[in-house]
Amino acid sequence: MKMFCLSFKLNGKSVQLSVQPAKLLVDLLREDLRLTGTKIGCREGECGACTVLVDGQPVNSCLIPAVKVHGREVLTIEGLEREDGVLDIIQESFISEGAIQCGFCTGGMILNAKALLDRRQEPDESEIRHALSGVLCRCTGYRKIIQAVKTASRIRKEGRGNKG
Amino acid sequence: MQVLTKEKVKLASLNKLQVGPYSLVGQSLKRTDARLKVTGKLKYGADYVLKGYLHGKILRSPYPHALIKNISTGKAKQVAGVAAVLVAEDLPGRNSFGAIVADQPVICSSRVRFVGDGVALVAAETEELANRAISLIDVDYEPLPAVFDPREAIKPGAPFIHEKGNLIEHCKLRKGDVEKGFSEADVIIERTYTTPYVEHVYMEPDIIMAVPLANGGMLIEGPMQAPFYVRDNVAAVLGVPINLIRVKSVQMGGGFGGKDDSPIDLGCRAAVLAAHTGRPVYISLEREEVTLQTSKRHPSIMELKIGAMADGRLVSFQGTLYNEEGAYSALGPAGGVNRHSMIMAAGPYDIPNCKVDAYLCHTNHPTGGAMRGFGAPQVCFAHESLIDELALDLGISPFDIRMRNAFKIGSKTATGQILDQSVGLIDTLKACGEAFEWDRRYGEGGALDNKGTRRRGVGIGVGYYRTSTGSKRDGCGANVYVLADGSALLYSGITEMGQGSFTVLPQICAEELGISVDDIRLVQPDTDLVPEAGPTVASRSTTLMGNAIILACRPIRESIMTMAAEMLCVPVERLKAENGVIYELDNPMNSVPFREVTAKCFAEGKRLIGQGWWTPPSPSFDAETGQGNPYFVYSYSTQMAEVAVDMETGEVEVTDYVAAFDIGKAINPNAVEGQIEGGIAMGLGYALMEEVAFKDGYIQNLSLQDLLIPSILDVPNVRALIVETRNRYGPFGAKGVGEMPNIPTAPAILNAITNACGGRIRSLPADPEKVYWAIRKARESTSTIR
Repeated sequence: MKMFCLSFKLNGKSVQLSVQPAKLLVDLLREDLRLTGTKIGCREGECGACTVLVDGQPVNSCLIPAVKVHGREVLTIEGLEREDGVLDIIQESFISEGAIQCGFCTGGMILNAKALLDRRQEPDESEIRHALSGVLCRCTGYRKIIQAVKTASRIRKEGRGNKG
Repeated sequence: MQVLTKEKVKLASLNKLQVGPYSLVGQSLKRTDARLKVTGKLKYGADYVLKGYLHGKILRSPYPHALIKNISTGKAKQVAGVAAVLVAEDLPGRNSFGAIVADQPVICSSRVRFVGDGVALVAAETEELANRAISLIDVDYEPLPAVFDPREAIKPGAPFIHEKGNLIEHCKLRKGDVEKGFSEADVIIERTYTTPYVEHVYMEPDIIMAVPLANGGMLIEGPMQAPFYVRDNVAAVLGVPINLIRVKSVQMGGGFGGKDDSPIDLGCRAAVLAAHTGRPVYISLEREEVTLQTSKRHPSIMELKIGAMADGRLVSFQGTLYNEEGAYSALGPAGGVNRHSMIMAAGPYDIPNCKVDAYLCHTNHPTGGAMRGFGAPQVCFAHESLIDELALDLGISPFDIRMRNAFKIGSKTATGQILDQSVGLIDTLKACGEAFEWDRRYGEGGALDNKGTRRRGVGIGVGYYRTSTGSKRDGCGANVYVLADGSALLYSGITEMGQGSFTVLPQICAEELGISVDDIRLVQPDTDLVPEAGPTVASRSTTLMGNAIILACRPIRESIMTMAAEMLCVPVERLKAENGVIYELDNPMNSVPFREVTAKCFAEGKRLIGQGWWTPPSPSFDAETGQGNPYFVYSYSTQMAEVAVDMETGEVEVTDYVAAFDIGKAINPNAVEGQIEGGIAMGLGYALMEEVAFKDGYIQNLSLQDLLIPSILDVPNVRALIVETRNRYGPFGAKGVGEMPNIPTAPAILNAITNACGGRIRSLPADPEKVYWAIRKARESTSTIR
């Protein structure tokens, strides 16, 4: 099979590797690049646990071939933390609000929240719910997740903490 | 969380609440694993590096009921890279597994009993090769007549699924004289309620790893709630002593009872492949395979009859429950879901005469196992709907009829148990009613919304739930080791599935020792290292394991406090340990750091290790009458829902929700709220959208596309209220909370639907189609026109 020379930016760093055209992005990340923070829950784009940001947009990485991110910027949950270990405001807010239980949906929720807050400074609750509607959570009932996004939005607006 | 300070103070004086001066217990400490989860660094089962592992696959029956006439594996075995193709004859030990009764074949030898039953096992170098081998196995089946309804299954002439027939057990409960009660009642109503198969839909699909050990044993590792069940089953299936099997539970992406027994299934199958090939094997399920083959919530058909006096006093309750077990016993019989649903069937009401018969029936469907509530959500939906229908006939409000009959101290349950402590049901009714503004909103039921297309309504559900499995073997052990520098190791076999045990149990340990949670490392539940703990189920973990930890800390505290007393020249009784410092109560400046004391203890050979074993007060239960004390304490909840029903489409939106819980003592309030909010979401799904749909034995909705659970757009902001009536047997007064939240939710919502539109739905889920026809029926009926 003819391999494809894939080149893209991953969590801020340039990556080049040879991939099979049929390889899904989620499998490339998890198996080849050993970034297992992106999860597999359904392999059909229903649960959102596999969410990554491609050029700032949330994408179900289980639904796209890796070759689709050629020349693009990809952010996984591992890429949110700063190099010195300081967490993004959204990550901190999830912790402080108690918005994490089993944690399996957490990456998907946080990345969708980041995509929202990067384009909309003060979303109302309805906008938050719609932005996160692509990620299923079975544990939390969503209330503390929504609260965490509101908290993060407020802190970002006030210019407090690190800019994620 | 809404802090009802006035209410709490009132409740405190009512219940003589011990609001203790705790430094950590009662605090919403951050989860110990939160950072790992938000950074994507926590390793779940599928994140392990599995190089060199063989990929295991299961060939499953395509028929709901059939004989296996012949199976040929020759072609499959010839594929290069296929390491093993196993049939029943290849198994080394017991060819069966099960959490309570081991009756499900590891590999079926002569007969298959549901679509998904295991017929052969394959291990290969890659997933593709394993799939190819699966496709090359030839099986000749002779289909048999199948049965899919539990009532049909136990009628004479129904095809036998097992040799002993399809009635697994008949549990009986007899309290008082129901016929006498009915003869005295002013009003009697009879109704039948039904609930379907429901899936746990934990976000993390199952995976298990089996690694052969040099000593002839096996290591099993993966997400699981019951490492000890897995160990016992794998030992029997491999035909080796239990002490040769080592099982490690990996943190789960959700469990909800499903990972109580699915790891037993996969663990046994991976183990036989690993034993046969001599190589590590993993079995990983796709989402559709999880739906196809793992255990589910038992469906139930509940025929109820209730009699009451005109003033609302309940006098007689009769129930016949048909619990559908499916093909194998799993967690149905022998104290499982069947008996538990019978015990809970009459609800938290003091009714002098009760008669319940619970029939557990095989069908050619997947097995009923453990799912959050363990039979209680089914019967609570039924009795709470029934009470509302009765209240309507009596002309009494749903709130008042419950207040009149609800359990309080001194009440006698349906099993004749006298509740002598920790009964906060009426407190939850009052707290919920006040916060929800029940009286006003109930009066406004049926009003059109501002667009004129939907009607609003409100409903109540109340429930109660046990802490512990009720089995005589229920007990928990813990080991605690404090080290020379004051840091500690905690060994507990209770697993973490997101409920927060890995935070709450160290929190209790830290409180007891007087150190911080950060000073404690909880060791991964590993059956080689931790004492017997039982499974992480039945809302038992905080209470039973919390008590075991407190006991384990005692000899350590004795050494440390005695040494500190010497170092500070103060009697032990005058000392307190808190936040890593031991100080004199009346003179806090006279203090010594915890780590200095431990260093001295260590240097002088003082004991710094402890083990605790705690069992609940012994349960009692008469098999003929169902009378006794099956569980030692109960938690209570009142829930109130507001819904908006679209009168033209039948769609229901839950627009507001308030729920109050008596859970004894909230060790970590934020974690308790998390269980409440999440459990109510699960109950909302049960009410409105969840169902595993079958046709002729085949699941129609294997994937998440049409196997629906609530999304963020479906769940309102739930307001949770916590009431604390101290459990004298619980750590700091605590009792269980994990399952209580999703039990009264479905009836609260369905009662609200009736209040809104007059339509009564008696089978779950109340999907738009059912609601639509219920509205039509209500319009046509003269007695319930709105």
